[in-house]
Amino acid sequence: MPSPTPPPHASSASRSLPVLSGGDGTQPAGRVLASTRRHAAASLYIHVPFCFHKCHYCDFYSIVDTRDRQEPFVHRLEHELEALSPWVRRPLDTLFVGGGTPSLLSPSLWRRLLRRLDELFGTASMAGRGGEFTVECNPETVTDDLAAALAAGGVTRVSMGAQSFHPGHLKTLERWHDPANVPLALERMRQAGIVRQSIDLIFGIPGQTMDEWLQDLEIACSLGTEHLSCYGLTYEQGTAMNARLERGDFQPIDHDLEADMFDATVERLGRHGLRRYELSNFARPGAECRHNLVYWRQGNWIAAGPSASGHVDGLRWKNRPRLDDYLQDTPDRTALIADAETPDPVRNLVEAMMTGLRLAEGVDARAMLSFAAAIDDRRRDRLASWATRLGERGMLEAADDRWRLTPTGMRLANQAILEAAEAIDPS
Amino acid sequence: MSDQPPNIRNFSIIAHIDHGKSTLADRLLQATNAVSSREARDQILDSMDLERERGITIKASAVTVMHRHKMGSKTDDLEAEFEAPVDDTGEHKTAKGQAAEHGDLFMMNFIDTPGHVDFNYEVSRALKACEGAVLVVDSTQGVQAQTLVNAYLAVNENLTIIPVINKIDLPSAQPDEVADEIEQTLGFKAEDCILVSAKTGQGIKELLAAICERLPAPRKPVVEQLRALIFDAVYDDYRGVVVYARIFDGRLRVGDKIRMMGTQRTFQVTDMGKMTPKPVRVKELGPGETGYVVAAIRSLKDVRIGDTITLENNPATEALEGYQPPRQMVFCDFYPATKEEGESTDFEDLREAVEKLSLNDSSFTFQPVHSEALGFGFRCGFLGLLHMDIIQERLEREGGVEIVQTAPTVSYHVVCRGVEDVVSPTGQVLKVIARSGVRHDGSQRGDVVEALAKAAKDHGIPDGHTLVEVHNPAELPNGSVIAEIREPICRVDLMIPKNNIGDIMKLCMDRRGLYKSQSFVSPTRDLLQFEMPLAEIIYDFFDKMKGMTSGYGTMDYEVIRYQPDNLVKMDILVNGEAVEALSIIVHRDRAEQRGRVLLTKLKDQIPRHQFEIPLQAAIGGKIIARETIKAFRKDVLAKCYGGDVSRKRKLLEKQKEGKKRMKNVGSVSIPQEAFMAVLDTGD
Repeated sequence: MPSPTPPPHASSASRSLPVLSGGDGTQPAGRVLASTRRHAAASLYIHVPFCFHKCHYCDFYSIVDTRDRQEPFVHRLEHELEALSPWVRRPLDTLFVGGGTPSLLSPSLWRRLLRRLDELFGTASMAGRGGEFTVECNPETVTDDLAAALAAGGVTRVSMGAQSFHPGHLKTLERWHDPANVPLALERMRQAGIVRQSIDLIFGIPGQTMDEWLQDLEIACSLGTEHLSCYGLTYEQGTAMNARLERGDFQPIDHDLEADMFDATVERLGRHGLRRYELSNFARPGAECRHNLVYWRQGNWIAAGPSASGHVDGLRWKNRPRLDDYLQDTPDRTALIADAETPDPVRNLVEAMMTGLRLAEGVDARAMLSFAAAIDDRRRDRLASWATRLGERGMLEAADDRWRLTPTGMRLANQAILEAAEAIDPS
Repeated sequence: MSDQPPNIRNFSIIAHIDHGKSTLADRLLQATNAVSSREARDQILDSMDLERERGITIKASAVTVMHRHKMGSKTDDLEAEFEAPVDDTGEHKTAKGQAAEHGDLFMMNFIDTPGHVDFNYEVSRALKACEGAVLVVDSTQGVQAQTLVNAYLAVNENLTIIPVINKIDLPSAQPDEVADEIEQTLGFKAEDCILVSAKTGQGIKELLAAICERLPAPRKPVVEQLRALIFDAVYDDYRGVVVYARIFDGRLRVGDKIRMMGTQRTFQVTDMGKMTPKPVRVKELGPGETGYVVAAIRSLKDVRIGDTITLENNPATEALEGYQPPRQMVFCDFYPATKEEGESTDFEDLREAVEKLSLNDSSFTFQPVHSEALGFGFRCGFLGLLHMDIIQERLEREGGVEIVQTAPTVSYHVVCRGVEDVVSPTGQVLKVIARSGVRHDGSQRGDVVEALAKAAKDHGIPDGHTLVEVHNPAELPNGSVIAEIREPICRVDLMIPKNNIGDIMKLCMDRRGLYKSQSFVSPTRDLLQFEMPLAEIIYDFFDKMKGMTSGYGTMDYEVIRYQPDNLVKMDILVNGEAVEALSIIVHRDRAEQRGRVLLTKLKDQIPRHQFEIPLQAAIGGKIIARETIKAFRKDVLAKCYGGDVSRKRKLLEKQKEGKKRMKNVGSVSIPQEAFMAVLDTGD
């Protein structure tokens, strides 16, 4: 194994970025990671940017597949992963491959990538050590060959982008798959041995009725899934969906109906034994997505692939999104980054509240207050009065030294978080 | 100019907007060889870009040309046909050998006027300097509302009027019908109308002859001392104020020390000339002549239009009859606009732009104002709605600022009990117009007391009362002080196609109009006259009238008096709290309807909150309309995919910023746009 970039000296105390080289101000991820601990992250996220069609609601980075760029991508990714390995703890605890459409990579490229991942991080045996290795899939792209390749490579879990089981609503979203392929794809995965399965669904699609949404939930549950992600459709700036909305192609769904759908989801999935453990995520007890919990709990993870973002001890960075930029080699072989934020107590506290409050388990109230107090007492006081105020409004419950959003608070999570951010950082 | 003063004709061209006044002026300049056809641009007299673009004339200009006419003839030879154009020195070559064969030399001073009613004051001050007027009517449009109003103005000034029917080259021209309309509405004989096409030049010879034949020469001097009427003034970056003056008596020479008889200010004349339309210097101006005068005058504030110029060392004893100074009737606020990216026009930039423009247009007023919702800005007064639009556009274009403009309101006269100063709820001491009594502290000067007492008599103010001016509903004093609220009433002339008469009648009645008369204009159109509050006119009346008549109706209005009515202040309560910036003054009978419209708009603009927000319109605590903004029940940020926490946090920051830009009323956040939408007129 060729020796990677010399490992950085461990200096988590360092609070500033090293002076940048390069006239255009760009730097590789290895440069910003240099200030962090070795083997700080037991989690890894890999972004695969290919899609065969750009869904109209999607604002994640992806490019419509050009098969001739898959190999160069995997080639570059192998180098990047190798270069990042000093920061990754072994055995790896969680690995998530998202996109784009990771299942669009050909089975042979997958085998190559999985081999390399195993060499670097021992991923083939993750399952045996209780690790979690998730790959996002599009129902149209799952073949027996792919399923077998993923299973053999140590993948333990798949997340299937179903979005809706109603062809009409899929059309509104510009999703071009046959809903009938969702159960087929899941069955293929199950046959290959990947039994932990999650389904993504979207509610609040223009024209959708409550009955149709409940039907979607029923169908998803009937497929034996242990985990569901249910997102309200959002119109992100710069997406085709948003442009169509502004053009008046359709009416957004009624606000009250959407709120009812949000509540009905909790109730209906609860009947099936799926508990809401995060704003939009539901699971049987023990089947929660551990990788996502790392995000919400301010854990550390290393990021690879274009537009991927990572976090280590308060440092956040994001790779540049364009595939062309990503394919450029760098001296230390890590990817060029678009943005980096060094640890900052105020920002980190806002982030901890912002992500932690999304979870049913909430945040450690005492820890949050003492973080705030460490910055200054006024922030602590404001945060405390925020909690009181939200409690009075029935949005927050304080028990066992934790702050948890109530069902009302969950529905208005953005308000709760916004007010927390104002309390912590009014500037 | 020659020693022997030529025959002089001073006249204006007046018309309804778009009837071809400026084109006719250009054609006259060209025909008299003041400009060669090569240099002829459209609308030579309009100097501002904006004027050219909108096709309307804002600033009056005076131009002098020379013309030969044989007395008694009905048509003239054109200088353009027998003379060289004005040469480089600006000299007009009139003395070419055989030129005299074409008749006697006439000096024509013509003064271009704006066509729109808002600029009536500019029209009337131009007319003060004239003996005659050319009234232009479009042969395809016929007599329109502004045709009448402008004609009234000229008649009031005792001017001789030549009716001209323009655009006769157009296939849709109906010159005979239009001549009948002119006879019907204005009483000029149909056969006295001169048919022209300013575009092709047809009829120009006849018009020039008529100007020399029909218009009177200037009156003879009546005193020996200099008396010159200032009829316009413009600001020039290099020369300061340039005054346009008409000499009635005596002579004015370069180097003379002059005194303004009204302001008593004195200046030294450094330069004089005429526009031909190029500026041509002259050493002196004699009786009947017009020209420009430069005298190191720094600011337009130092000059009063209508004032009389006399000589410092040989002053006249009595000033010429001046003209009514402009009255600001329509008011609105200008605030620096906040752009979306948060980049904004500074208040200081706005101040600079406003002050600079005021050098150029002294007819709009401005004073700093602070709104809780919109920050620092200016409350500006205008002559009318078009004037307001033009000022806004000029500020944005010439001043390079972005403006948020509030809805226009009118100026109210409020009769208050007592003779003390009246303070508005915002702490402003209101402008006193009249007072019948002496302030108890006796601090006021005797002459001021006297002037206010005289005004009180003129305005019919009962003893022990004070009349104040209010043009911002938020400044209306508390109800107990108010004895009466008076509003400006207009005489409105409406030229309406016959089949829309019913609709327009109803519209006027709905707008508290008082029917005065209906008269025949032509087989297809009638003239309606109403008296109507200005407040109703500025509330989208013009757009409604245009819509009902498919654009064929025209209107003009003039404020004729102030009149009390059942006017009340309507408060808007958001979540139970009155929001000053949203209150309006409205007629009691119209309050409910206006209130409902307003609340509906507000409902669309205020985002949902976590709680239900009642919106109410109230008069003196009594609720007259109500709406509710439903509580929002769901607000969840979408998934935080791939752990891109930074991006979500930045979104949060943006929301925080957005919230900060809102105005908090109690626990309700109202976006700036809501204030604008509410102030916007229209149903």
